[in-house]
Amino acid sequence: MQQNEGLLDSVILRKKILAFWHNRHVSSYQLELGLLLTPFLLGTAVLLLLPMLLTIFLAFTSYNAFTPPQWNGLQNFITIFQRDVFWIAVRNSLVYVSFSAPLQLLGALLLALLLYHQRYGVREYRIAAFLPSVIPEVAYALIWLWIFNPLYGPLNKLLGWVGLPEQAWLVNTATALPSLIFMSCFRLGEGMFVLIAALQGIPPAYFQAAALDGGSRWQILRHIILPLLTPWLLLLLLRDILLSTQSSFAPVYMMTEGGPGYATMLLPYLIYDEAFSHFRLGHAASMLLVMFVVMGILLWLVYRLLGGWGYTDEI
Amino acid sequence: MSRQQVLFFSLLVAFLAACTTIQAPTSPVAEEGAVFTELTFLISGDPTDQTAYQTLIDAFSTEHTDISINLINIPSGGDFRKRLAADFAAGTPPDVFLINYRHLGHFFAANAVEPLTDYLAASTLIRTDDYYAEALTAFQWQGKQMCMPQNISSPVVYYNKDLFNAAGIAYPSDDWHWDEFVTTAQALTQDQDGDGTADIYGLGMEATIVRAAPFIWMNGGEILDDEAAPAGLALDSPESKAALAWFVGLQTEHHVVPNAVAEEAESSLSRFVNGRMAMFVDSRRAVPEFRLIESFDWDVAALPVSQQRASVLHSDAFCMAAAGQQQDATWAFIEFASGVEGQTILAQTGRTVPSRKALAESESFLDPNAKPANSRVFLDAVPGMRHLPLMATWSDIEGIVSKHIENAFYGIETVDEAIEAANQQSAEFFPVP
Repeated sequence: MQQNEGLLDSVILRKKILAFWHNRHVSSYQLELGLLLTPFLLGTAVLLLLPMLLTIFLAFTSYNAFTPPQWNGLQNFITIFQRDVFWIAVRNSLVYVSFSAPLQLLGALLLALLLYHQRYGVREYRIAAFLPSVIPEVAYALIWLWIFNPLYGPLNKLLGWVGLPEQAWLVNTATALPSLIFMSCFRLGEGMFVLIAALQGIPPAYFQAAALDGGSRWQILRHIILPLLTPWLLLLLLRDILLSTQSSFAPVYMMTEGGPGYATMLLPYLIYDEAFSHFRLGHAASMLLVMFVVMGILLWLVYRLLGGWGYTDEI
Repeated sequence: MSRQQVLFFSLLVAFLAACTTIQAPTSPVAEEGAVFTELTFLISGDPTDQTAYQTLIDAFSTEHTDISINLINIPSGGDFRKRLAADFAAGTPPDVFLINYRHLGHFFAANAVEPLTDYLAASTLIRTDDYYAEALTAFQWQGKQMCMPQNISSPVVYYNKDLFNAAGIAYPSDDWHWDEFVTTAQALTQDQDGDGTADIYGLGMEATIVRAAPFIWMNGGEILDDEAAPAGLALDSPESKAALAWFVGLQTEHHVVPNAVAEEAESSLSRFVNGRMAMFVDSRRAVPEFRLIESFDWDVAALPVSQQRASVLHSDAFCMAAAGQQQDATWAFIEFASGVEGQTILAQTGRTVPSRKALAESESFLDPNAKPANSRVFLDAVPGMRHLPLMATWSDIEGIVSKHIENAFYGIETVDEAIEAANQQSAEFFPVP
């Protein structure tokens, strides 16, 4: 009897030891995870969260970079809302994002549909399509400054050769903003690769079944590909809306400085100009806060209008 | 690679990074026991300027072995001002910086610049009487001399003598009138291949309030309603409006200046340097670049006059940051740079018109062997010289007015529309009476 009890005790002890080691293993894994994530989390906190909180605070202060910020409630918002140039910048920014992000997505989708099959030479085409995405923003702006040159640029030369009227591009108030939108449409390499990966993940059986049923290419696209790509398309659209807003600064700074007139005055450039040319960092922070809110509303609207993430099954 | 290995390498990298100390810039070795002072000096200029200021620093260092100066050059003027603002915001402004008076209002209003009046009074090396009063007054705020002007430049007409010779046109005289200026520019504007677009333009000029200002003043107009206590613009007075209409008409009516498309395709500066523009209005800053031109001969002429002579001051000054920790050493440098030796070094670049009267009248500036041959026009302009207002909000006002002058110049707005829009948009930046 005592021997049995001793055996039972030893079994319980063994189980306890195993449980201890198992628990220890889990905490060791969590520790590793925590250690590996720490640099990133620290960077996020110091470089993103802290400046964001400071921006929210500064939006309610009068701050000129020379003297400490002074609380002034909603005065910054009242002032910027009374300025025409602010509303011009909001309107231009919304126009820019509304065209740039969907066009980038459409371009990425078309290229992905063209290039997702493994064929001879397709890799080179993919690299060519991806190249504009890896060029630094400043260099990209300078290249397009040359392309848009109204007298010596290749774009107008091309139009001249095919008998179309040459354009003033960045000089004309009617074409300046569309020109910036046009140049943004070629930075679609990342989106293209995401969609190629998504397309390659669609089970071939779906296409085979559609072919057996006599489905046309359009029907396959409409009823199989697009529904299955919806989560990816929405993800890319939300991402492109955010990136379009951020990446609009470099072309405006390098190419137009908001002109001609205020035709290409976008919020990121106006915020920069307000902060560092006119030393009104409080106004700049309040504009930034408005931009956050507008972008948040836009993202929410897009998400709601497209009915959320759509098809949720794994593909 | 297992998880343990990843963790090990991550920790190793973090450990090595933590062990690495940032190597502070080494200072020149001072004599044992001597207290060494390090200053930062922020400028905006091209490589020629950078070399000249480094020469200035080296000359200063031979006399002041206990002071080391770190020169920081931000080539773009806009980026320079942004860097300066960021440095002030961070609480680490440069000890001394060189800046145009048009951008100083913010700094003076925020008490960010240390007044130099007391230093000047105590100086045995420099006296205010040695400098042009027109330059000194542009840097005075509430009765105090805030910065020491380094130069006293103004816009002049650079002209391509070869193009004048080819067209059989006499070089500009010192007292030419607006009408003569226009007819000369028209005669020099040429469409050589007959495609309807000028291949050589008669004139190039920025469409800004800085360039338009002398013409407004020449015509008896004003930019502000009251220079002492401005409450608004005065561009809608008949004299100012007529001057602006004439200025804008150079492009919209006479077509002697490149239009917006031609200017976008190639800047007027580039056209002049490449020999495809006969006249170009700029300040003394263009001289170092133009001295490199070998394909044609050039010189400078005074601005054409209307009812009276007038010009606008272009001047940069050495300013001391109020938050600077080494103000005595900083003053020693400003004093040296503003003295005879310092200004002589800078005058050799060709870029500056010295603010010291005696030096400006000497061969250091009026060097007969260096272009432009007619450098005296810069000095002749001094008696009619005025400066743009020194206000905390002037950069806003200047930006708005220049934007609408440019719109009118390139035909986007009429002169009346431009003036009305400038009045309306700039109103919030004037103090409420």
